[in-house]
Amino acid sequence: MASPSGTIDPKIFESLQSKIDDDAEVRDQIREILQVLERQGRTAQAILSGAHSTPAAHLEPVLKSTEDAIRGEIESIGKLASATAKSPYYKYNGMWTRDVQNVVFAVLFCGWLGGMGTFGVAVEPGKLFTIEEVGKILNEVPVNLKDQDAFHITIEEYLQSLITLIEELARLAINSVTLGDYHRPLQISQFVKDVHAGFQILNLKNDSLRRRSDGIKYSVKKVEDIVYDLSLRNLVPRAEPTAQ
Amino acid sequence: MSGGLQDMPGMKRHHDGQPKETDSRTSPFMPMFEVFRNELDEHHDRRERIIKASRDITAASKKIIFSLQRVRSLGSSIPPKISAETQDRAAVIQQHFNTIAPDLAGINGWRYQRQVSPGIQEYTEALSFEHYLRHQKLITVEEAAATVPSNITLTADDYILGIFDLVGELMRFAITTMATSGSLPGSESTDVSTEKRDILMDLRSLRMCFHGLDTTSCKDTSLGRDSEKKMEVMNTCVEKVEAAVYGMIVRGRERPKGWVPDLSDDRGTVGSY
Repeated sequence: MASPSGTIDPKIFESLQSKIDDDAEVRDQIREILQVLERQGRTAQAILSGAHSTPAAHLEPVLKSTEDAIRGEIESIGKLASATAKSPYYKYNGMWTRDVQNVVFAVLFCGWLGGMGTFGVAVEPGKLFTIEEVGKILNEVPVNLKDQDAFHITIEEYLQSLITLIEELARLAINSVTLGDYHRPLQISQFVKDVHAGFQILNLKNDSLRRRSDGIKYSVKKVEDIVYDLSLRNLVPRAEPTAQ
Repeated sequence: MSGGLQDMPGMKRHHDGQPKETDSRTSPFMPMFEVFRNELDEHHDRRERIIKASRDITAASKKIIFSLQRVRSLGSSIPPKISAETQDRAAVIQQHFNTIAPDLAGINGWRYQRQVSPGIQEYTEALSFEHYLRHQKLITVEEAAATVPSNITLTADDYILGIFDLVGELMRFAITTMATSGSLPGSESTDVSTEKRDILMDLRSLRMCFHGLDTTSCKDTSLGRDSEKKMEVMNTCVEKVEAAVYGMIVRGRERPKGWVPDLSDDRGTVGSY
């Protein structure tokens, strides 16, 4: 590719090519890891969806196998972090953010159901893990990094996963009633409203976070309607423990 | 901003939603969301500053390019009048770069890559055009990167896409110069070691370099997508100069001095997308 004239230093295009090739190599490595992570994500999701057909009292096995699935995901995230350790974080972040959001969602949902007790954080049904707790669970992954360029969980990723959790809980509220659990919809209602109130103080711009967070109100309404239906028919448990 | 207004519906719901809780209970997640709000506000502010600067850098770079298109010689310094104009613009661009340099420090360099990238590409185009007019050489990535603050990364991708657009400028420069002076711009130096290089030879070698560049691996990056389009435009540009040189040789003597071919249709296709 040597240039016939002296105008173009042949080294220019040689080094451009090698940069392109290096870039492609990193992408290939990431893709390989993501293939596994994506499958693990689907498995975890499938197990977790068992929560919709399992009474709260019998959730233990569902949570146990979810935790196992999450352990596999955490391993993949570790691989992702080391494969990209030498690259600028935001250069490739777009490739995996969706899969990472899925993992964070699995962690949040499992935690809300009372699981994740073996991951070194305090657990309790109805609990929302903070972004810091999620980072700790994912084997000490940093969160919201600002002064250091390394793999981490971003605020946006956490919030996206939180919206997915809200949507999932709205569905769980319906299915809880089907399972004869009239207490859980109340618990979900309070939780969903509290999260919704949080989202309302964010000044979101016209991005995907904004679009999805606009949908939270429909989840809130869905759950409110269930609570209304229950209270109309006097199905709301009287001995009301406070929602956490 | 509108935060106060947005609080209202969220707060109200607590009262009508849960009648049993008579005290106005605030969401336990509020402190967490307040942290997020501050972070996201900072992020959006940075992003907007960068978008604005990138636009201004693009505009100033375009003006530099327009000024440079009035140059009629290759391989010598820019005439003082034009040079004064371009230097003013270049100073404006530097100011914009300095403004956003802190926003692009460290991890944020790549975070806002998509926002700065258009400005940097246009800047590369202007910079490389001036460099070529003065030295008849393609500016290297390192030379170009050295002209922006160190916080700001001139990526290989932006360099490549900027140089693609340079071809369009060289085409316009070559054709206008041919039309006004009747000869193809080229080095008039009597350096024995190198053959006399004219701009068409340079364009052809640039074209060859671009064709040699294998970008099949970046199908899903902006480089892959943009270079496909720009490759075609670049080919057309080189061919236009080839056709113009042919025309000059065949009909050159018949053409009245000062005749300028109509270039209006090129403006839209080259250099902007």
